[in-house]
Amino acid sequence: MANNGSQPLVEMEGICKDFGPVHALEGVDIEISENEVVGLLGDNGAGKSTLINIISGVFPPTKGEYLFRGEEVDFSTPREARERGIETVHQESSLVETMSIARNFFLGKEPTTDFGPFSFLDHGEMNKESRRVISEIGVKMRSPDEFVNILSGGERQAIAIGRAMYYGADLLILDEPLRALSIREQRTVLDHIREAQSQGATIIFITHNVHHVYPVAGRFIMLDNGKKLGALEKEDVEDPEDIAEVIAQGKMEATR
Amino acid sequence: MEDSGEDGLTKSLFKRLRRRPELGAVVAFAVLFLIFSGLSPRFATLNNLSGVLTLTAELGIMTIGISFLMIAGEFDLSVSSVYAMGGFLYVILVNALDFPLGAIIAFVLAISFGAVIGFINGMITLRAGIPSFITTLGMLMFLRGLLVGITGGSSVVITEDSIINEVLTDYFFLKFRPSHLWFLGIIVLFTIILTKTTYGNHVLATGGNKKVARTMGVNVEWVKIKNFMASGMLAAFAGTIAINRFSLANAAFGQQMELEAIASAVIGGTLMTGGYGTVIGAAFGASIMGMVRSGLVLVGAPSYWYQAFVGAILIIAATINLKLSGLKS
Repeated sequence: MANNGSQPLVEMEGICKDFGPVHALEGVDIEISENEVVGLLGDNGAGKSTLINIISGVFPPTKGEYLFRGEEVDFSTPREARERGIETVHQESSLVETMSIARNFFLGKEPTTDFGPFSFLDHGEMNKESRRVISEIGVKMRSPDEFVNILSGGERQAIAIGRAMYYGADLLILDEPLRALSIREQRTVLDHIREAQSQGATIIFITHNVHHVYPVAGRFIMLDNGKKLGALEKEDVEDPEDIAEVIAQGKMEATR
Repeated sequence: MEDSGEDGLTKSLFKRLRRRPELGAVVAFAVLFLIFSGLSPRFATLNNLSGVLTLTAELGIMTIGISFLMIAGEFDLSVSSVYAMGGFLYVILVNALDFPLGAIIAFVLAISFGAVIGFINGMITLRAGIPSFITTLGMLMFLRGLLVGITGGSSVVITEDSIINEVLTDYFFLKFRPSHLWFLGIIVLFTIILTKTTYGNHVLATGGNKKVARTMGVNVEWVKIKNFMASGMLAAFAGTIAINRFSLANAAFGQQMELEAIASAVIGGTLMTGGYGTVIGAAFGASIMGMVRSGLVLVGAPSYWYQAFVGAILIIAATINLKLSGLKS
């Protein structure tokens, strides 16, 4: 899928990011094609979070080129990235616990009705739409007025992914989406990820656990110490343990 | 399944009430009201209750500012000094600007002063990365010291009545003052902002989980700064009302009122951890303070019991509110 001739969705070249004296990323090149699911793997501190923060607009890179749909972008806020169709679902914290499901669902993209010069939240629309979408996803809830803290981790991930798709995400970034989930919930979330792909989304799945991403990804990119170790197509991987081995060794040669 | 059957009615009613942060304060208010009414025949009279409302309005306006900021996950201890400085600034300006519109200009500048201090509190907190508890504790002491230094400890007096006096605090009907209406208006305005606007959604998200809020495109820094400014403005507004009522004040004006306002906010169901609270709860919290102060005097308790009583209510209320909310602190 990587080389089907069409333009890549994401192209990054020579991406560096420094935090003071710390080099979090040192010259990373990445290419992601339309509609593929890529596993972004690496140990703690490998630079995964820094890289997704750059892709999702939390901060710009110190150096390097970032092209989205062939156009150079320079996001400085997640809002700008969201406007381009880049949605991010963070581990365990994709929703605000102290807010209702409906308020969460529309956070940052609130529907409003105008009343003279003022505009107010359209609570009716928020409740109706969030109820519809969430029941389509298959999450059971009594009411969209309920707070998020009554939901399980898997339900929260499902809602966050459903929300991203509702906003027409072209690129869906999932940060450790299976962490701290039960086996059954992991399966459900993986189904949601496949569903998102079948709807046309491109997905970057970040994890340090290769077994989490192996069932859904077509390609794996390994990071270590702020550098890219390399990438592997799924058909070239005989055993997911080989990928874990690459990360553990900190070098690509291990599987060659 | 919002419309559950009749057997589920009590359960769903309880569930709904649980999601009302102000529930505890409303119940406590009603119970204390009945107790004081029973203990003193002078309590539930128009004279006394309008007096309670006057104190409540001034404290409550300040409390709404603090609550609004606490919901966004930050804290403001400097309010009592902003209250005093704002009031003093108003008096000095209104005496100096001896022309028809002078009082209005003095009023606008006093409120702007509150906004500027709020802005500074916010910028320091965000830029220096220190907790707002520390920033505003510093500001509390700094401004109070400045006030004593500038005035040399002497009092200020409003020399002439002005339009602002009438608009803010002169009796306008029986024992009612305009400040009572201002209080109501601010309750309504901030309730609408918090519950019915996009900005309110962003305030709740910023206080609830600022990382998520940021990911979803909320400008959390701006939300916080705006709420710091609202807290400063409302504190200066409360100070201007109070100083117009007294017509004079000394350098101890409003001292320790920040503790009463924070206690009111917490009694009213605002969580210290942010993301949860209501304006009406804050208003009821302030009402409980006003009512207890007057009620204890009327039943003949020495004034120091007020502090002890409020302290006890604060701890009990914070515990019950947290349990009711079903949220971890």
